[in-house]
Amino acid sequence: MPHSMKSKKDVQPGTLALMVLKTLDVMGELHGYGIARRIEQISGDILFVNQGTLYPVLLRLEQEGAIASEWGPSENNRRARFYRLTRAGRKLLETEKHDWEQTAAIIARFFEVKAEDLA
Amino acid sequence: MKTLHRFLIRLRNLVTGRRGDQRLREELEDYVAREAEANMQAGMSEEEARRQARMKLGAAEAIRERYHAEEGLPLLECLAQDTRFSLRQMRRSPGFTLVVVLTMALGIAATTTMFTVVYSTLLRSLPYPQSERIVAIHDTRIAGRSAGGLMTGPRFYDIEARNRSFSSLTFFYFDESTLVAGKKLPIYVNAAAANAGFWDVFDTAPMLGRVLNAKDDMPHAPLTVVLSYPGWQRLFGGDPNVIGEQVTLDQQTATIVGVMPRDFSAPAGVDFWRAAQFVPNSWGNYRGDGLRSFNVFGRLRRGVTPAQAQGDLDRIGEQLRREYPSSDGAWRFTSETLREDRYGHVQPALMALLIASALLLLIACINVANLLLSRATARQREVALRRALGASGRRVAFQLLVESGLLALAGGGTGILLAFALTRTAATSLPGILGRPGTIHMDGIVIEVALLISLATGIVFGVAPVLETRKVQLHSALKQGEARLGGSSGNWLRSVLVGVQVGLSLVLLVGASLLAESLWNLMKLPLGFEPEHLLTFRLALPWDTRPEVARNFYNDVQQRIENLPGVEAAGQINSPPMLDFHLRGSYDADWLPQVANQPAISADSRSIAGNLLVAMGTPLLAGRAFSAEDQVSTLPPVLVNEALVREFLPKGNPIGHHLLLDGQAHEIVGVVADVRGVSGAIAAEPGPAVYSPANADGSWHRYFLVRTNVPPEQVVKSIREQVYQADPRQSLGRIETMDQLLSDAVAQPRLNAAVVASFAGIALLLACVGIYGVVSYFAAQRTQEIGVRMALGATRGDITRLFVRRAMVPAAIGLATGTVVSLAADRLLRSQLYGVQPDDLRLYLASLLVLLAPLLVATLRPAIRAGKTEPMEALRTE
Repeated sequence: MPHSMKSKKDVQPGTLALMVLKTLDVMGELHGYGIARRIEQISGDILFVNQGTLYPVLLRLEQEGAIASEWGPSENNRRARFYRLTRAGRKLLETEKHDWEQTAAIIARFFEVKAEDLA
Repeated sequence: MKTLHRFLIRLRNLVTGRRGDQRLREELEDYVAREAEANMQAGMSEEEARRQARMKLGAAEAIRERYHAEEGLPLLECLAQDTRFSLRQMRRSPGFTLVVVLTMALGIAATTTMFTVVYSTLLRSLPYPQSERIVAIHDTRIAGRSAGGLMTGPRFYDIEARNRSFSSLTFFYFDESTLVAGKKLPIYVNAAAANAGFWDVFDTAPMLGRVLNAKDDMPHAPLTVVLSYPGWQRLFGGDPNVIGEQVTLDQQTATIVGVMPRDFSAPAGVDFWRAAQFVPNSWGNYRGDGLRSFNVFGRLRRGVTPAQAQGDLDRIGEQLRREYPSSDGAWRFTSETLREDRYGHVQPALMALLIASALLLLIACINVANLLLSRATARQREVALRRALGASGRRVAFQLLVESGLLALAGGGTGILLAFALTRTAATSLPGILGRPGTIHMDGIVIEVALLISLATGIVFGVAPVLETRKVQLHSALKQGEARLGGSSGNWLRSVLVGVQVGLSLVLLVGASLLAESLWNLMKLPLGFEPEHLLTFRLALPWDTRPEVARNFYNDVQQRIENLPGVEAAGQINSPPMLDFHLRGSYDADWLPQVANQPAISADSRSIAGNLLVAMGTPLLAGRAFSAEDQVSTLPPVLVNEALVREFLPKGNPIGHHLLLDGQAHEIVGVVADVRGVSGAIAAEPGPAVYSPANADGSWHRYFLVRTNVPPEQVVKSIREQVYQADPRQSLGRIETMDQLLSDAVAQPRLNAAVVASFAGIALLLACVGIYGVVSYFAAQRTQEIGVRMALGATRGDITRLFVRRAMVPAAIGLATGTVVSLAADRLLRSQLYGVQPDDLRLYLASLLVLLAPLLVATLRPAIRAGKTEPMEALRTE
C-alpha cells in the first residue's frame, strides 16, 4: 500500500477552516484536491484531510464570504473549481490567527508552569 | 449577522431546490481523478489506482450527507424527504395505513369530543363580563330537604340591604303567561321576571334596543319586555323592527324594548325577560315558605373573594335566624360560583366520561404501537440496508418517527373531523343543560390540543419500534431468512402492550356495566303512577285572576276534556312528577308534640283537582279522594303519601288525624302511594308529600294530566280547540307526554351508560384485534421453530397450547391488574351510580367473561392455524 493511513491523524475539528484560509493565503488560487494535499504536505504528512470534511468546510467558508470560487481551466485540460481568499477572508484569517496564537500561548504557559512559579 | 446570512442562503437553497449535487459530484470526480493520477505515477495500474483513490475517498453517501447538512437546512430537508418517503410507504401498504389511521381516529374522536364538552362547560369562560365574579346564592335548609336553593323575596331584600360583598344583586323567577301579538292567536310563553339588578349582574349589552332599568322595575310602571334571541325568532320571526311593538301579555299591554344576543342564556329557555316590579315591602309581614321562588345571583365587588362573600352571607343568615325564628330559623344561605351552579352537577359525570375516553385513546395508541412494532420487525432488513449505505442511526430513527407522527396526524385529523360531527350532534342532543344552544362548540384551542395529542401519541408510541430497530445487527439482518429459534427481542414488549390493553379494556367494561346496571335500576323503579298514554300540558291564567274565575275556567276545561273521545280520565295538579318544581310546606300534626317555630313536618305540597289520581294511575291506599265539596271548602281536607305516614305515624292510622298549617287544622282523608320524581330528580327517594284541593285556594296556573286510550299526541289538537272555546285568550304550554318526561329524567344516566358502553365495545374490539395480531405475528415469526418442534414429536395441540399460553399469560396479568385498577377507578363513578356498588362482584365477573370470550377466540384462531402447520413445509420455508 502506497499510503499507510495508520500513523496519520485526522484534522482536529475547527482547525481545518483556519488551515484552508492560510493555505489559500500562501498559495493563491487552488482547487479542492490541491488544498487537501497542501495541508497534508505543510503538516509534514502527519495530518490526513478527509474530503468528506473538507468540502462542507469549503462550502461554509464560501457562504460566509471568506473565500470565493469559480470554474476554471486547470492543467491537463481538466476543468476544476478554484478557490481564492477574499478581502473578508483575509481579515477573518488575521482575527483567527490572533485568537489562535493567543490560545496557543496560554496553553503553552500552562505546560511550562512549575510549582515554584506559583509559590 | 453572519449566521443570519448563512441561514438565508440555506433557506434559499431549500426553497429554490438548488442542490450542490452537481458541484459536489464534480469535486469528487476531480479528486478521484487526481488521486488516481498520483497513484499511477507511483506505479499502480490504472484500475488499481482508481480503486485505491475511491477507497481513500470513503463512503460517498456519507460525504454527500455531510455536504448537504452544510448546504441546506438539514432538519427541514430531512423532514420533507422523510415525509415524502413515509407517504410512499403508506401508499404501498394501504391496509396497514387504514387500520392505524382508523384506530387513532376512534381514540382521538372520542377524546376530542369529550374534551370539547368539558372545555365548553368547565373551562371556557362563561359569556358574561368578568363572569368569575358572579355567584349564585341559595337558600338552604339547615337540615332536611331544601327547595332547590330557591329564596323568598323578603330574604333577598334582606341580603340586598345588609351585605358588604356585592356590587349588585339580582333575583329572577320563572313566569309563564299568555302573549298575544297583533291579531295572532294567543301563544303560551316562558318568561323570567327579574329585578333591575339583573342587568348589572349579567352585564350584557342587548343586540337590539335596550335592556331594562330601575324605572321599568317600579311597581305599576308600564310593562316592558326584552326578548331572548330564541324568543325573538319564535314569536316574531326575527323581525328587526320589533322594538317598540306593543303586545298583550296576560291581558295587559307591554312594549318590546330590546332583544338580547344569541348566546345570552341567563336563564336558558325563556322567551323574554320582564321587570318583576317588587319592592322590599311587597310581602308585608309574611316571610313564609310559600314564597320560595327566587333564583338569586350576585356580582362580587372588586377584590371580594367568594369565601369572603360566603362569610358575609353567613352573618346575614345568622341575623335573620335570630330576628325571624319562626320563618327563617331553619334556613341559611349558601353560595357557589356561576360555573358551579350551572355545571357543578354534571361535572362528576363529565370527568368520568373524559377519563373513559382517555382510556380508549390509550388503548388505541397501544394498538397502533403494536402494529408499528410488528412492521418495524418486518422492515428490519430495509433499516439494515439504509444503515449499511451510511445512514446514521439517528437519521433512521428520525425517519421512523416522522412516519409514525404522520400516521398519528392522519389519524388525528380524521378523528377531529369525526369529533366535529359528533360535537355538532352532541350540541343539540345532550341532555339538560349540556344541550342548550351555544353551550357546546369546538374551537381553535380544542383542535390545537387534539392535534398536539395525536402528534405526541404518534411520537411516544413510535418510539417502541425505533428502539427495536436500534438493536438491528447489520450482518444478521441482511442475511435473508435468518433462522429464528426461541424468543426474539421485542416480544416481551408486545406481551406487555397486550396485557395493558386487556387490562384497560376491563376497566372500561366494568365501568360500562356499572353504569348500565344503574340505568336499569333507575328505569325499573316503581314510579307510583302509570307513565304510558299520559299527556301533560299547562295552562296559566294571569296571576291576579280571582279564585272563583280561575276555578270556573279550570272546571270548564276539565269538563270539556273529559268529554273528548279517546280521553279516559283527566286531572289537574300544580306540578306533575319529573318536573324541577319546588313547593314545600311546613306542617305541625295533631299527633306530634308542637314546638314553637319548629314545624314537625316538611313536605312537598301539591294541589290537585279533577280526577287526578285516576288520571295519573296513582293508587289510593286508604281513605277517600277529594270530593266536589272538598274543592270549595274553606277548611279543606288533605291527602298524604305513604312516606309521610311511614316517617311520622308508622304504627297508627292517619285517617281522621289533622295536619296543622297556619293555625288551621286540615283533616287527613286519604293516603296515596309515593310518587317518584315529585321535584324532578328520579333517583331521589320519595319524601313526605301533602296534597290539597287546588280549587280551594284558587291557584291560577295548573298542569292537566290526561290519560288517553289513543296515542296521547292525537288528542292535543282537540284539547287546543276546547281550551280556545273556553277562553280565546288562553293557550296550551309545555305539551309533553309523560314518557318523554321520564326519558328526559334518565337522560344523563342513559348518556353515561351509552357513551361508556360504546367506548368499552370499541376497546374490546381493539383488544381482540391487538391480541389476534400479536398471536399471528408470533406464529409467523416462529414457523420454523414449529417445524422443528413437530419434527421432534410435538403434537398439533402442543403447538396451539404454546401460542395460547403465550397470549393468555400477559392477558391474564392484564386482567388481574385491570381488576385492581377498576376497583380504584370506578369509585370515581360512585356519584353516577344508583342501586349498585362500585365493587359489585357479579359485574366484575360478567365483565371478565365478556372480555375473555372474544379474546380467547382471537387467540385461538391464529394459534390453531399455527398448529395445523405442516412440519416439512415449515422447515423448508427458510
